[in-house]
Amino acid sequence: MINLDNIYKSYHSGENSVPVLSNLSLTIETGEFVAIMGSSGSGKSTLLNIIGCLDTCDQGSYTLENTSINQASNDKLAQIRSKYIGFVFQSFSLIPRISSQKNIELPMIYAGINSKDRQKKSIKLLEQVGLTDRRHHSSAQLSGGQQQRVAIARALANQPSIIIADEPTGSLDTVSGLEIMDIFTALHKQNKTIVMVTHEDDIANYAQRIIKLRDGVIIEDTSVC
Amino acid sequence: MLMNKDQLFITLEIINQSLQSIRENRLRTTLSILGVTIGIMAVIIVGTISQGGSKVIFSELQTFGLKSLWIFRDHNDDDPNKATRIGTGINNYDLNIIENGCCRSISLITPIVNSSKLSPYINKNGNFSKSAISGVGINYLRINNDKLTSGRNFRKDDITKNRNLIIIGSEIKQKLFPNQASVLGSTLRIESRKFTIIGIIKNKSRDFLSSIGSNSEEDINSRILIPYTTFQSMLGLKKEISLLQAESVSIENAKKAATEITNILDRHHSNKFKYRSETMAQYIETANHILRGVSVIGIIAASVSLIVGGMGIMNIMTTSVIERTREIGLRKAVGAQENHILYQFIIESIFISSIGGFLGLIIGLLGSFLIAILASFPLTPSWEMIVIALVTSIFVGVISGYYPAMRAAKMQPVTALRYD
Repeated sequence: MINLDNIYKSYHSGENSVPVLSNLSLTIETGEFVAIMGSSGSGKSTLLNIIGCLDTCDQGSYTLENTSINQASNDKLAQIRSKYIGFVFQSFSLIPRISSQKNIELPMIYAGINSKDRQKKSIKLLEQVGLTDRRHHSSAQLSGGQQQRVAIARALANQPSIIIADEPTGSLDTVSGLEIMDIFTALHKQNKTIVMVTHEDDIANYAQRIIKLRDGVIIEDTSVC
Repeated sequence: MLMNKDQLFITLEIINQSLQSIRENRLRTTLSILGVTIGIMAVIIVGTISQGGSKVIFSELQTFGLKSLWIFRDHNDDDPNKATRIGTGINNYDLNIIENGCCRSISLITPIVNSSKLSPYINKNGNFSKSAISGVGINYLRINNDKLTSGRNFRKDDITKNRNLIIIGSEIKQKLFPNQASVLGSTLRIESRKFTIIGIIKNKSRDFLSSIGSNSEEDINSRILIPYTTFQSMLGLKKEISLLQAESVSIENAKKAATEITNILDRHHSNKFKYRSETMAQYIETANHILRGVSVIGIIAASVSLIVGGMGIMNIMTTSVIERTREIGLRKAVGAQENHILYQFIIESIFISSIGGFLGLIIGLLGSFLIAILASFPLTPSWEMIVIALVTSIFVGVISGYYPAMRAAKMQPVTALRYD
């Protein structure tokens, strides 16, 4: 469960501090599929980063899976990310020099899983995203859709309860985008919590809850059944 | 630092990843290791020269007797009255006193009588050889660590009775009696006197020192020794001795021994002359001093090139960190802690530096080998030096990798992921 209470976050530009999120409160239950929308500058990426423990808020409190994030050190945050959160980025963010399988194994390395188990799990994950025959390919040898599927497999490597997706279809053609959303739908059915930022209505409609942000404030929070 | 299994395992993975990155940037890595390579090479070569050199000098000086010292009149007296006084300042009476055990730091003493006037042609059946003759006492051979290949040393009564006996260096024997198996009992003519050969001095190695100086007439293996009393009467010298050579009871006592002898001479001659002494210990000290100088220069050169090399690696690592900012962000996002990133880059830096150091070590050893052959040095592959070289290159790796690695470790994941 994700619980944000009275979050305030500002960025410093020169002398001024510009508020990005102000007094934002939000609760996301386990297993929810949430889409966060809003124009650029609305604070949606900042909110996503805070939820993903990539960034911390200036004020307010954040509890994730009953763990308070507020006072966590950088290393503690890394441990929380390693344990609870999987990331899918718009630009895939695969390490280009290594094979897709090695990319998937990366989070497991930092979680301290031995190489035999890593191999077993990564092969399974590749199967799950339909890329068993691409395990030795580097990202340059994969299409955008395939790269994003590798990235999803990587996000799932440590069996996180939460998937953070930042414009996951933003760099993809429509067909590949739909394939990715099918995977998300399947994950949702497996009771993974998914928090996704997007600006496309079609994509947002895959979620069961849509949160709209403007100037750091939630202006709309609708659940679709 | 204690590590649990997980940490050890993560460390191994990190090392693996560092190696991979080096493999992928071969050209850049090669260029950046040059400085370290040259630095380590310099360390090895300088080390070989100074260690090998000191060994050579020490072992060659050793064959001349490490405890030796020489006392002779110093003609460059500050006092003009003293300087013009005639004589060597040392005579048979002085020797007698010293031989009778006045000086506790001395174990052996021999007089040496030389002559610049008499530079004789030694003659045997039409074979001539020009050579330096020394008139010596019975301890000369012992003090100088000389052995005889055949024959005998002078005896006490050979000296007291001014006998015409002669001991020759093996090269003189070769020159004058090339085809004769034994020359003992044969005679040689010096001026008008006939000398009977009683001993042949064993050859001494002089590879290194002879390459520095000393011409063939003064060659250590072409010496001609006769009783000093005989030489004195040939020269009409009236019991004058050119110099005294002594052996001190230990190397450390050499200076003290020289002072003791000088004091006796001063007393005997009522401070008429000024004396100078030289000790083998002094020569060794001088040789070591020069070698140390060479080492210091070499070490400075090596340090400069190691610093340059380190800066090169720091530069390459900084570039690498900036280039991989997004990758660092990603690694952090998927759970890498600060130390994981820090170690990854420091290990990468250590590997780069160590490759450089290892190459430098190989080239340095080959270079040393070459020098050893060319200068007929004994090659001394010392583990110490190899360890120093490798430790130094690891150290350079840590130092030059630390700042870039720290920079990588401290990156904020959000900022790093957004970098392009």
